[in-house]
Amino acid sequence: MRNIIIFGGSSHPKLAEQIAGRLGVSLGRVELSKFSNKETNVEIRESVREKDVYIVQSGCGHVNDNFMELLIMISACKIASAAKVTAVIPCFPYARQPDAPYKRNGEPLSRIPRDKFLGYTFDTPPNLSTATTPMDEGKDPFNATSSKIGEENSTCSDADSINELRHYNSTMMSSSSSSGKSGAYRHWVARSGTLIANLLTCAGADHIMTMDLHDPQFQGYFDVPVDNLYGLPLMIKYIRENIPSWESAVIVSPDAGGAKRATAIADKLRVEFALIHKERRLQHKPHKADMMLVGQVRDKVCIMIDDIADTSITITRAAKVLVENGAKKVYAIITHAIMSGDAIKRIQQSAIDQVIVSDSIPQDEHLVQCSKIKVFEIAPIFAEAIRRVHNGESVSALFNDRTMLLV
Amino acid sequence: MSTSFKGVQWAIGGKHENRRDTEGSAKVIVLKYTNQETSVTIGESVRDEDVFIIQSGCGEINDNLMELLIMINACKTASARRITAVIPCFPYARQDKKDKSRAPITAKLVANMLIVAGANHVITVDLHASQIQGFFNVPVDNLYCEPSMLKYIRTKIPNWTNAIIVSPDAGGAKRATSIADRLNLDFALIHKERKRANEVSRMVLVGDVRGKVAIVVDDMADTCGTLSMAAKTLKENGATKVYAIVAHGILSGKAIDVINNSVLEKLVVTNTIPHEDKKAICKKIDTIDISPTLAEAIRRTHNGESVSFLFSHAPE
Repeated sequence: MRNIIIFGGSSHPKLAEQIAGRLGVSLGRVELSKFSNKETNVEIRESVREKDVYIVQSGCGHVNDNFMELLIMISACKIASAAKVTAVIPCFPYARQPDAPYKRNGEPLSRIPRDKFLGYTFDTPPNLSTATTPMDEGKDPFNATSSKIGEENSTCSDADSINELRHYNSTMMSSSSSSGKSGAYRHWVARSGTLIANLLTCAGADHIMTMDLHDPQFQGYFDVPVDNLYGLPLMIKYIRENIPSWESAVIVSPDAGGAKRATAIADKLRVEFALIHKERRLQHKPHKADMMLVGQVRDKVCIMIDDIADTSITITRAAKVLVENGAKKVYAIITHAIMSGDAIKRIQQSAIDQVIVSDSIPQDEHLVQCSKIKVFEIAPIFAEAIRRVHNGESVSALFNDRTMLLV
Repeated sequence: MSTSFKGVQWAIGGKHENRRDTEGSAKVIVLKYTNQETSVTIGESVRDEDVFIIQSGCGEINDNLMELLIMINACKTASARRITAVIPCFPYARQDKKDKSRAPITAKLVANMLIVAGANHVITVDLHASQIQGFFNVPVDNLYCEPSMLKYIRTKIPNWTNAIIVSPDAGGAKRATSIADRLNLDFALIHKERKRANEVSRMVLVGDVRGKVAIVVDDMADTCGTLSMAAKTLKENGATKVYAIVAHGILSGKAIDVINNSVLEKLVVTNTIPHEDKKAICKKIDTIDISPTLAEAIRRTHNGESVSFLFSHAPE
């Protein structure tokens, strides 16, 4: 292939090598490091003038650092007269509002009690979104002392899983507050999706390639072409080849939001479908939510499908519900396995038999820590997509699962 | 029409800032999720307000930069009237030119990112190169530390009338001569002779420092290798004492050890970058408080008054 250069960022160098290998080109030489004051340093070691540049960087690990690195690399290539710069971002950062436990009044939790951990019960109530929870009168987390905030949380497992949260509180600086306004104002968490899209465009990206965006509407935030590849064909291939008696399995969606995704797979495989509704509100207990299984799973092999597993609270809880309802075996197929905090330990102790993940995020460490994880590679899909894009051919075939059997 | 101040990660300056402003700092919570993404919650309504967001490019620079961008964007989508980013130490300011093949001009990228996020105005202190103002299409107020530095020299350095201002490299000559002229003092320059890249082999002093107090003036002190070699050269050439006054004290890596082992009498930095922890282990560090200048600039910007006063006077 001529006039093409592939650079790998520091988030997932192995994937970049695999993609380059599949395409028969060698990876472009770039040196990525940090200055002593933690600024990112990018030095591109070969000419990119009039070439098509593909930069492979996943939104994982230290997200902000990797994202800045990606932006600086795009900008460097653009001002070095590259013909076209494509950002290949298998796991897109800031694509969704992550699972941060909220207090009853809808505020994000800011401090966790470390001394209450008694083991994973997988019983924790799910996160109540801000949109549906009314704000308690008089409770203003910005003025509350940190030690009181921890007690608001229902159980300890949720609390423990966010031990990584850091809390910057600027209330120490001011005593005069706008308490007159707090009754009418509801706190809200900023959504960064459009900002990230705009930053990528302003850095100079001409094309974005990603996989299984959490929100397909994200493509609309960009003015440049976005190829949202599907992991679905690879998942179907894995199920057909590796899960015994898949023909009589049940595809389960661990939450109501993913129902569409799961039904698509269920239809392609021509198997049955079930759903777990995790936010069922009971009339007399409006602040506690319950898990509800919709469908039949007794004596069946259950295959849970989800796009992102971050804290793994969702899938481990869902697995418990499935086993309680008589499931024979529980698999989980996840596209982006972020596995932050103690997610791996949760999975090891949960009722899931196998977790199958893609390598959009480096999984080498997770494989060592957890025996239940299996990985399917996405480099073939991306390499094929890059080849077609570079040659100006249609990419539609990649959305068809029959073609994927050849990959 | 009131002003809301959002101060994040401004450990030292913020306290001083509030002393002279009518409104207190507004509330914002910044968290990091388990997957390392940043989350910002704005604690009060900013609709139709004049918002100032104070964030310095120090510490975990990429994280702080993303925090700043997300805060600006959050305020923009919350219908703020005007958003000013107050960035005392501008991040990536040193990557401002394409000095070798395929080098990124990251300062330009940062400028674009700030605009795209929604900043309408930028206030910064002692930009590494004042041409960086040209990277923006929005107004940029590049405030100077010079008046504060002059005040410090006049009040805190004994025998300053017999001092000599030294620039540790050729690039900073203009900055140093400006201070020397205002104080009516002599000027000297240190020239780095490089035999190999990234290795300073010899420092040549241009000017006479014999029997004088030498005051080295620079805009940034990062690893402090240059400063300590300059101090040694000055002492060898007969300076009685060597002071260093620097606008941005980044002091990364082994800087503190280098300072402690050098012949510097004192290293004076402004508080554009918080350095309380470094002061605890290095007795040679002294601080110039720059928050009155910033607070005055914010007040004047908000009230629509001229900021020129600050270019030649250091407010109390």
